[in-house]
Amino acid sequence: MRKSSGESLRKINNILHRDLGYFFAALIIAYSLSGIALNHVDDWNPDFIISKEEIKLNESYQKNDITPDLIKDFSAKVGENGYRLYDFPSSRQVKIYYKDATLMVNLQNGEALYEKISRRPLFYQVNVLHRNSVAWWKWISDVFAITLIIMTITGILMLRGSKGLSGRGKWLIAAGFVPPLIAIVIQQL
Amino acid sequence: MHCSRTFSRFYQAIIFVLLAFVSGCRPSQEPAPQEKTGEKKIGVLLLNHGSRSERWRQNLIELEKNVSEKVLSIEGIDGIQTVFMEHASPSIADGLKAFDREGHSDIIVIPIFLTIGSHMFDDIPTIIGMKENPASMEKLKLENIERYIPKAKTHLAPPLDFSNILKTNALRRTLALSKNTGEEGVVLVGYGSTTFDAQWTELFENVGTYVCKKSGISDFSTAWCGHIANYSPDSTAAAINRILEKNKRALVLPLLVSSSEQFQNEIIGGGIAVVSDHESRVQYKPDAILPDPDLEQWIVDAAEQYAAEIIKLSRTQEASDLD
Repeated sequence: MRKSSGESLRKINNILHRDLGYFFAALIIAYSLSGIALNHVDDWNPDFIISKEEIKLNESYQKNDITPDLIKDFSAKVGENGYRLYDFPSSRQVKIYYKDATLMVNLQNGEALYEKISRRPLFYQVNVLHRNSVAWWKWISDVFAITLIIMTITGILMLRGSKGLSGRGKWLIAAGFVPPLIAIVIQQL
Repeated sequence: MHCSRTFSRFYQAIIFVLLAFVSGCRPSQEPAPQEKTGEKKIGVLLLNHGSRSERWRQNLIELEKNVSEKVLSIEGIDGIQTVFMEHASPSIADGLKAFDREGHSDIIVIPIFLTIGSHMFDDIPTIIGMKENPASMEKLKLENIERYIPKAKTHLAPPLDFSNILKTNALRRTLALSKNTGEEGVVLVGYGSTTFDAQWTELFENVGTYVCKKSGISDFSTAWCGHIANYSPDSTAAAINRILEKNKRALVLPLLVSSSEQFQNEIIGGGIAVVSDHESRVQYKPDAILPDPDLEQWIVDAAEQYAAEIIKLSRTQEASDLD
């Protein structure tokens, strides 16, 4: 009777591990991809592709020289037919706004920077989830996190014998503690 | 068999709970703003960056309390609210919607920001519908910051560097930290800006020069603690070391609007901690620009000036309509 109850619990454990694994497979991959992307946020923009093009206008201008016609001329140089708005961050600069781009012109030296923004495919979408950009997603995210804990525990308990927790499992778990402990100790020094 | 039936019920229950949850998460409908009356009804929005730190938030709430009475006594103004661009509530959209619901005709947006930066120049005008900067539009969506174009007309006031507040504030705090100005140099620590680095550098040069001239201190240096410095303490540490090469002590001054554990403690405090002999050679108080009576007066003055212009324009318009 006792053995049968143990078997039954193990069966539930294995079913839980298997089915939760299937159900959350997509989300685990999405969060892992996004995690790698966001880890390197200082080295690249994981959300957007910002293409930059430097152009030289070969002339210097004063703020008072700037007219809508001149703005159209600047825009034509970067292939923009029209503009939405322009504004002056300082008396030395004018910024022109387009649908998905901007042109910042240094009026003193005539140097201009054209920046075009577009979403980085796949990474933008997975980052939306990881950053909880949809307000209610954080609750799903919490459920997901709890589920990962359940999956880990059920995974640990899945096998018996020399390949289970009582065998190699306990040593691998102990080894898994080492990298984070080293990092924490180094941080505290 | 029994096991699989139990699981089937278990999954049904999960699906039911998820459906119920998602159906309950639809955004609520905003009531339509009231129609404007003939009279000008002006609201003042005190807008700041926002932080998860309660200490940061509290300073800004205090600021609103301290200026409310004077601002609300200005002709035409009948509402004042503090709003946060991110990391705290109420948001800018919340504030604008509230003013719309109350039927305000005009909203004076007073940004409690040091100087021009991406937030000041692009993000805030985009949030309140004055601009559509493509990068800001995308960023707002990703960071779940609501954009709201109010029915009321918005008037965006300039940041703090258009006044002398930063200079007098930095001088007052420097003198409070100082033991002997002849032996000291000042380290000004600010958020910084990648896009508007020249403007930030110029502002801090001006403040540092003013502090040195008025206090008799010979040197100052500048450090950034924001995104431009990757939120690292290194810039602070380097700026302190530059001062200590020539001076006996460094006075470290955070030129940040409010205080937060992250900036004043972890980043600036972390920069100080790695400087050798910092206990005896670095003077530091993890404070901020707020509270400052001059800043409070600046808000009152800005509100008064904008309200007067709005009313004057409205009266001119009314007179020309009558003609």
